[in-house]
Amino acid sequence: MYGEKAIELIHELQRAVNGSLAPFNEEGVRQVLEEMKALYDQNQCDVEATVQGEKDRLPAVQFRHTCLERNKRCLLAYLHNRLCMIRDMRWEFGSVLPAEVKYNLSEQEVQWFTKYNKSLASYMRTLGQDGLDLTQDRSPPKSLYVEVRCLMDYGEFESEDGSSVVLKKNSQHFLLRSLCEPLIRQGVLEHIMS
Amino acid sequence: MASPSTYSRYSSNSDNYYDINDIIATHEKVPCKVELPLHRLGFLNPGSDGENIRVGTKMDLPYWLVTGLLGRRRRLVSVEPPKYFRSSYREIMSADANIVDLHKMGPYYYAFGTKILSFEFPESEDIAKSLIETYINRFRKVMDGSQNASHEDKNRLTSKMDETERSIYRAGQTSLRSFQSWETRQITKICTSDMVANHRKRKRAVMDEDDQ
Amino acid sequence: MDPSEVEFLAEKEEVTIVPNFSHDEVFLIGGNVGPFNPSLPMKVPLWMAINLKQRQKCRIQPPDWMLVEKLEEVKKQEHDSAVFQPMVNPHYMEVTKLLLSHATDDIPNADEVNTLIKDIWDLRMAKLRQSIDKFVKDQETHARLDNLSLMEINSVRPFLTQALDHMHTLRMNLLTAGPGPTQDS
Repeated sequence: MYGEKAIELIHELQRAVNGSLAPFNEEGVRQVLEEMKALYDQNQCDVEATVQGEKDRLPAVQFRHTCLERNKRCLLAYLHNRLCMIRDMRWEFGSVLPAEVKYNLSEQEVQWFTKYNKSLASYMRTLGQDGLDLTQDRSPPKSLYVEVRCLMDYGEFESEDGSSVVLKKNSQHFLLRSLCEPLIRQGVLEHIMS
Repeated sequence: MASPSTYSRYSSNSDNYYDINDIIATHEKVPCKVELPLHRLGFLNPGSDGENIRVGTKMDLPYWLVTGLLGRRRRLVSVEPPKYFRSSYREIMSADANIVDLHKMGPYYYAFGTKILSFEFPESEDIAKSLIETYINRFRKVMDGSQNASHEDKNRLTSKMDETERSIYRAGQTSLRSFQSWETRQITKICTSDMVANHRKRKRAVMDEDDQ
Repeated sequence: MDPSEVEFLAEKEEVTIVPNFSHDEVFLIGGNVGPFNPSLPMKVPLWMAINLKQRQKCRIQPPDWMLVEKLEEVKKQEHDSAVFQPMVNPHYMEVTKLLLSHATDDIPNADEVNTLIKDIWDLRMAKLRQSIDKFVKDQETHARLDNLSLMEINSVRPFLTQALDHMHTLRMNLLTAGPGPTQDS
């Protein structure tokens, strides 16, 4: 039946668990588009025949047209839902996507991500006097400083007073909350509760 | 994943156009009889080798297709209620809705059941009644389950729920878990984002595989 | 809402502290606090009380309802009544949790207070579930629930709104299942 290839794309989205984005299914999308082109061409042909007077072609035209609409809906939903996931990633991973994630994006999706990044950054710059990082303090902060432990060798890190701290695996630090929150969310540091 | 919105009787022109669940629910099959010949589409009917689909041919077609074939001017097919919504199954529902495996009958039992009402079967009203009664009778189980903390039960509890029930169940579980992490003060800890954590886990799994 | 946001709102509740330092009045977005005088009881927002307590700058006086006898009475009332009783404080859970986590030494019978508050919460949540079930069973369209706290409402909100949305859809089916609108789009 028509529309089977398209629903496969949707099932692929449904299977995605939190944070996983499957590689952009270029082959699947191409096959759906091909099916649509065939449907369109056959309809063109039948419509012409109808104009010539063959009235009984119309039901098949209506049939194919419904299939076209369905394929279109599935394709758009596939693209749309992927973009929603990519948008959420900006808030979870930060402005730079891990290489393996980026690898699964199509070229247009990478472009979209870059543009979204820019819009978000320029919007955040306009907030308040010196801008406001909306990705910070996702829940109400309890203290200005937090104790953290390094989960990996991260290298040098500039603290608020301009001095630099070397983040080595298993080293512990007492740092400004706003500075280390992004690193905690990215899994570089672990927040230690006293 | 986008949160599932409420489904509607009319699929293609409503605001859940992009909704994954709605798209999958509309893929369920409806038994049909062809009323007008479909030229050069015979290959879609596995039971015949004719070039065309003849009048009177019986086919199970997906809901989305059927709605397109029932236009205002032409009705290409006539429809019958799908098996699980016929009177024999409705009787099972009214006997004891709680033991029925709605996921097997669904998995979008309520959503699909709601959608097929637009076909205006003679028994549509009975189907509608059966749907809401089933939901109400099963509700307590969904609610109590969703407020239950133990994790082992989760699969057993949800295995017979349809997708809507599961989604309601998950909403309750999410609130419960965030309340519990508040109560135990876990909440004051800044955590690695779930997405990042899941991503790491998968990456590790892939690397382990490569090592072997 | 996340419970941490509910707690954030609860931190605006005022509590009485006895500072051990002096300081002039401070001017804050949320209102002015102070002046601080050693040994002179004064009211401050909960978040400030906890911050001062953590730095050993004050003693916190338990709110007048945070007493075993008082809470036992509240629990009994809640138990005996079919409807929700007015609570001692709109943020009773959060205030108790915060004070017991950060100022246990200032709260007499802290363990008992903790147990009682939890009992009251459990009683009320059971009552809430009961009402929700009845509401759905009777296919009601509206209900009035007084005296619920924000934390209580918050803990059932996502579940309840979804469940009722779904019920509404199925009810609408019933109304339109007869001769409904045609199915053309």
